[in-house]
Amino acid sequence: MEPLDLELDDGEIELPTEPMRLNLGPSHPAMHGTVRIVVELSGETVTKADVQVGFLHRGFEKMCERGTFTQCFPYVDRLNYASPLLNNVGFALAVEKMLGVTVPVRCQYYRIILGELARICDHMVCSGAMCMELGAFTPFLYLCKAREMIWDIFEEETGARVTHSFGRVGGMAAPPTSDFKQAVRATLPAVLALVDDAEKLVVTNRIFLDRVDGVGIMSAAEAKALGWTGVCLRSTGVAYDVRKSHPYSGYDTVEFDVPVGSRGDCYDRFMCRSEEVRQSVRIIGQALALLPDDGPVNVDDPRIVLPPKDEVYSTIEGTIQHFKIVMEGIKVPAGECYSYTEAGNGELGFYIVSDGSGTPWRVRIRPPCFANTSGLAKLVTGAMIPDIVPCFGSINMIGGECDH
Amino acid sequence: MTGSFTWADLVVALLKIIVVIGFLITLAAVATWGDRRQSAMVQDRIGPQRAVVWLPSLLARVLLGLPAVAVAGLIIVPLMGAPGGPPAQQLQVLFQRTLTGIELAILVGWFTLLVLAATTRASGEGNAFDGAVARLDPRSYFYIGLALHLVAIPLVQIIPPSIAPHAARAAVVLAGVAVLASGLYAAIFRVPSGKVPLRLAGLLHAMADGVKLAWKEDLRPKTADKLLFALAPLISMFPALVTIGVLPFGGNLCFIDRAHNGALDFGDLTAIAANVERSGMCGKGYVSVPLQIADLNIGLLYVFAIAGTGVVGAAIAGWASDNKFALLGALRASSQMVSYEVAMGLSIVGLVVVYGTLQMSGVVGWQGDNAWGIFVQPFGFLLFFAALIAETKRVPFDQPEGESEIVAGYFIEYSGMRFTMFYLGEYAEFAFSSALLVTLFFGGFNLPFLHPDGIDVSFGGTSLLKLQLSHFTVTLLQVVAFFGKTVLVTWLQIFVRWTLPRFRYDQLMKLGWTKLLPLALANIVVTAVVVLALREGGATVKSALRWAADLTQAVVAVGGVAAAVAFIAWLLEPQKTGQFIHSTAARFATAQGGVKPQKLGA
Repeated sequence: MEPLDLELDDGEIELPTEPMRLNLGPSHPAMHGTVRIVVELSGETVTKADVQVGFLHRGFEKMCERGTFTQCFPYVDRLNYASPLLNNVGFALAVEKMLGVTVPVRCQYYRIILGELARICDHMVCSGAMCMELGAFTPFLYLCKAREMIWDIFEEETGARVTHSFGRVGGMAAPPTSDFKQAVRATLPAVLALVDDAEKLVVTNRIFLDRVDGVGIMSAAEAKALGWTGVCLRSTGVAYDVRKSHPYSGYDTVEFDVPVGSRGDCYDRFMCRSEEVRQSVRIIGQALALLPDDGPVNVDDPRIVLPPKDEVYSTIEGTIQHFKIVMEGIKVPAGECYSYTEAGNGELGFYIVSDGSGTPWRVRIRPPCFANTSGLAKLVTGAMIPDIVPCFGSINMIGGECDH
Repeated sequence: MTGSFTWADLVVALLKIIVVIGFLITLAAVATWGDRRQSAMVQDRIGPQRAVVWLPSLLARVLLGLPAVAVAGLIIVPLMGAPGGPPAQQLQVLFQRTLTGIELAILVGWFTLLVLAATTRASGEGNAFDGAVARLDPRSYFYIGLALHLVAIPLVQIIPPSIAPHAARAAVVLAGVAVLASGLYAAIFRVPSGKVPLRLAGLLHAMADGVKLAWKEDLRPKTADKLLFALAPLISMFPALVTIGVLPFGGNLCFIDRAHNGALDFGDLTAIAANVERSGMCGKGYVSVPLQIADLNIGLLYVFAIAGTGVVGAAIAGWASDNKFALLGALRASSQMVSYEVAMGLSIVGLVVVYGTLQMSGVVGWQGDNAWGIFVQPFGFLLFFAALIAETKRVPFDQPEGESEIVAGYFIEYSGMRFTMFYLGEYAEFAFSSALLVTLFFGGFNLPFLHPDGIDVSFGGTSLLKLQLSHFTVTLLQVVAFFGKTVLVTWLQIFVRWTLPRFRYDQLMKLGWTKLLPLALANIVVTAVVVLALREGGATVKSALRWAADLTQAVVAVGGVAAAVAFIAWLLEPQKTGQFIHSTAARFATAQGGVKPQKLGA
């Protein structure tokens, strides 16, 4: 029998093909409900990735413009909800910079300790979630257990477990509780033991190493061009840490190392986070020793800090002072400033413009996640679908601060 | 079997099917619960055990007391009479009864006291006796009981033949009374008045889930292929249920052939043979019922052939759902099965070379006579285990479902009862894979040194301890051993699932083709050479092999007992509870009298 395709050359008998488009998210187990990646696939390989953010946009910046400076704190809590205390401190520092005040030493170390505890939580959640999405469930549970211990301290200090709203301009909402030092000293070894356990479970595991080693590589130059900061930037080998490069709030008085990676892959990001947890513990240990047991926490300025409640009820000065701060807000001199701190994911900047009233005229946030997430497409293009999971996980994109 | 197929055969076959399938489905449901419970345990939270049935106190008392009365009656009544047969055999039977009675009494005794002590310590004493029992650490009861178990064996040996009938009666009564006393004590004193919650350690939750899923809405995407969409879950469920039929769950059960026609009649079923020979064959005048649904001579091939069809269900589901995630899952499932089926088949060839048979009863018999498969083919075991996990699509080989990548893979569009069928089919396959592992590598229903005629601890032909057991006892032990081992292996697999991350798809393929496959081939070559060499070896090699085989049995026996003891000791270890730091909320709750008593019941 004569073959049917006798006159046809190879080009003609090929079926027309088109790449398969797949929508990952926003409702997808690995996308945390906050991001969508439209990928074009060739088999399992991602040929093109379009990362779309904005699913958690809440108009944070606009909301800040209709309240007093103090009323912004609950909003900044909800930026990076994995480490709200760092955001609180960051915003407080920005307003203090405009006011030109410096908080007392006791408050500085209190902020350092709470902030570093929050950083530990942030890193643990990120690493744990990444492991879980790779299928290793146990490390995630270990790390959650450790976070629970720290949350117990937070609950004791601030009264809330997740969104604390504990920062204030010119100080903190309350001084450290009497057994704060003891609680932190008792907790940290237990947390470190759990972190070690979790790390041992995955880092000695060939499967895990295969999944993260050499996956999602970013070069230092590209990372800098994209504006990456924080762990993601340091994993590429750039030792930029705001706490070290531009010390604030007494970070220059404590000793710590900045862990850097060498290749900028998922493994480096994971290991940098683990190491930063240990460095944070080191910082906390020194800060605990430096934290005075008594002395003022808030700046001594009635225009900035609320008077004690008994004065509000018993003296006319106290009543007026309280009324002015609550109703009109803290009067911040007209001008603009950019203040930046090292948050869980990198450089968290606040650009504030004040017209001299008690309400910010403009608050602009520079979330570390936004820049970091903009590199995600580069990380996953050319990789396979399963690689999206560790890449996205190690970037630690937090919708709350990314979508502004 | 020489006789023709009778109605009794049919009934027995149906019974066997019900037992095996029932076990499989139950284990599958328990494993789903266990999988969920595992995560809860690590996290120190309650987990899925909220389903509860409230029983009136009286009913609970009856449910506890009545079985105790029935069991005690079943122990005492048939065993009080004098045994028949020649005097030597009579003495043997009396001796067996004494030993069994005493051991059973000791077992019931320490277990009851242990549970009583532990529960009293946990939830307070009901009366002075509880308090007295609870004064001793629960572990002590276990250790004392263990010592008594061992001491009883030589003690029974020195009973003089003259008082043997009385000793046997006393032992049987002792066992009966122990069961009765513990059951009645629990029923009368340990059941709280009012309503009693029945949770079965959370297993009711699995049933509640099943009921819920059956009533859920059954969604089908508009563009799905109606026929294939409905067909796929059925195909996935099918293989596990069918393949379990060739796995033996006990030895031959021998009945006295009362009608002397060589066939099984209903009348025969009431007369179990008292003892059988070492070979396990029933001999003349008996009819045998193998505890296996079908003893195919191509047993192992049949398993592979049928198990391979499971993936067709996954592939069809992925195609019929008209969903990209489902399609990706189906493609992954198909290619994974193709790759790992090859490695799995080849990893087992070494075992077949050693056993010299594909028939499951032969496989298990060889392991009973010699050594367990895991000692003969340790490397083959590792390869087979890896391939088996891939075959059952569980972490780290769960790419077809890859929860965080392609959401749920091929069954993403399924809901309600169809989803249940996929899920249950997968877990049934998982339970079956454990049973297969037990049959091929962990000696099937064999226990070390347990032979059809009793316990015989011997090394290289010299017997150290010989203990004749009745046919019924041995068979019971075998069945319990098979199901118990299967549960243990299931547990092990659940642990693997909750610890390991999953492979990437291409790494999985690489592992299958470039690692498992060549290693399996190498294993075949090495095994073949060694088997040939040993077969050519003389008598010295034979006796050395005999010794080595007996040694492995000893290792299993000692290791198994040690593991069991360690496990129970660990279970009874006093747990340090309480929070690390008492947060404000925890302190407030404590000041209010704590939250624990109301936590579950209310």
